[in-house]
Amino acid sequence: METNNKDKLLKDFFSNYKQEIADNGFTAHVMQKLPEETYRGWIVWIFAAIGMALTFYIGLQSGLVDHLLVLFKHVPVYYIIGGVFCFPLLGTAGFYFSQTKDYHLI
Amino acid sequence: MSNTDDIRWVTQVALLGDKNAFDKLTCKYQSPIRRFFMNLTAGDGPLSDDLAQETFIKAYLNITAFKGLSGFSTWLYRIAYNVYYDSVRAQKHYEDIDETVIDNQHHTLNEFSAEKMDIYKALKMLRKEEQTAVLLFYMEDKTHKEIARIMNCPLGTAKTYILKGKERLTVYLTKAGYGN
Repeated sequence: METNNKDKLLKDFFSNYKQEIADNGFTAHVMQKLPEETYRGWIVWIFAAIGMALTFYIGLQSGLVDHLLVLFKHVPVYYIIGGVFCFPLLGTAGFYFSQTKDYHLI
Repeated sequence: MSNTDDIRWVTQVALLGDKNAFDKLTCKYQSPIRRFFMNLTAGDGPLSDDLAQETFIKAYLNITAFKGLSGFSTWLYRIAYNVYYDSVRAQKHYEDIDETVIDNQHHTLNEFSAEKMDIYKALKMLRKEEQTAVLLFYMEDKTHKEIARIMNCPLGTAKTYILKGKERLTVYLTKAGYGN
C-alpha cells in the first residue's frame, strides 16, 4: 500500500473514533484539588517601584528633572504631582482591589 | 479561543495566581487530555480522569516553568506524557493487562468502550512509544516537531515511532477489513 493511502487509512480510522469528552464536573473537581492560592501581585508593585526609582535617579543625573522644573515653572506643582504620580497609583490600586474581590468569589 | 488567550491566561496564573484563568485553561484542554489518556489506557475512564487531574494539578504547580518556547498545548501534553509513563512504571501490571480485564472495563466502566474496542485492540498492537506518537499525530493532530518535544526525543526518533506504528497499524487494519 502507498504511503499516502496508509496515511489516509489511519487518518480516517482515528477521526472515526475522535470525540469530544463532556466536562461533567471534571474542571470543577480539578479546581477544588488545587492548592490554596498565593497572591503574587506584589511582584507588580516591586517592579513599578524599581522603575519609578530608576526613572527618578536617571532624571536627576541627566538634569532632566531640572529641565522639567524649568518647563513647568508656571504650572502649580501639585498639578504635576497629581498627574504624574497619583493617577497611575490610584488606577493600579483600583485594579488591585477589583482583582482581589474576584479571587474571593472563586 | 486562540493561543493568544492561552498566553494571557498562563501569564495571569503565573504572575497573579489567578485561578479563574486556570479554570479557563482546564475547561479548554480537559477533553483532548482525557481523550489522550482514555486511548492510552484502553478505555479505563476512572484511571484516565485520575491521570488527567494529576496532569492539570502539576501544570498549575509548575506553570512558572512554562517558557512559551512551544505552545501551552504542547507543554501540557508533555506533562501528560510524563504522568502516564510515571503511572506505567509505578504499576507494571498495566503492561500485562489481559483481554478479560479490558472487556470487563469496557462493559462496566466506560459507556463508549463497546464501540471503541477496535481502536483499543489496534493500539495494543503497538509499543507504548509508538502508541503515544501515533495517537498524538493522527488523533491529536500534533506535528512531528511537537511530538518530539512532548516525548522529549530527537525529531528522527519521533518520526521513526510514527512510521513503525503506521506500518503495524496498516497491516492490522487491512486484515480487519478497514482498507477495503
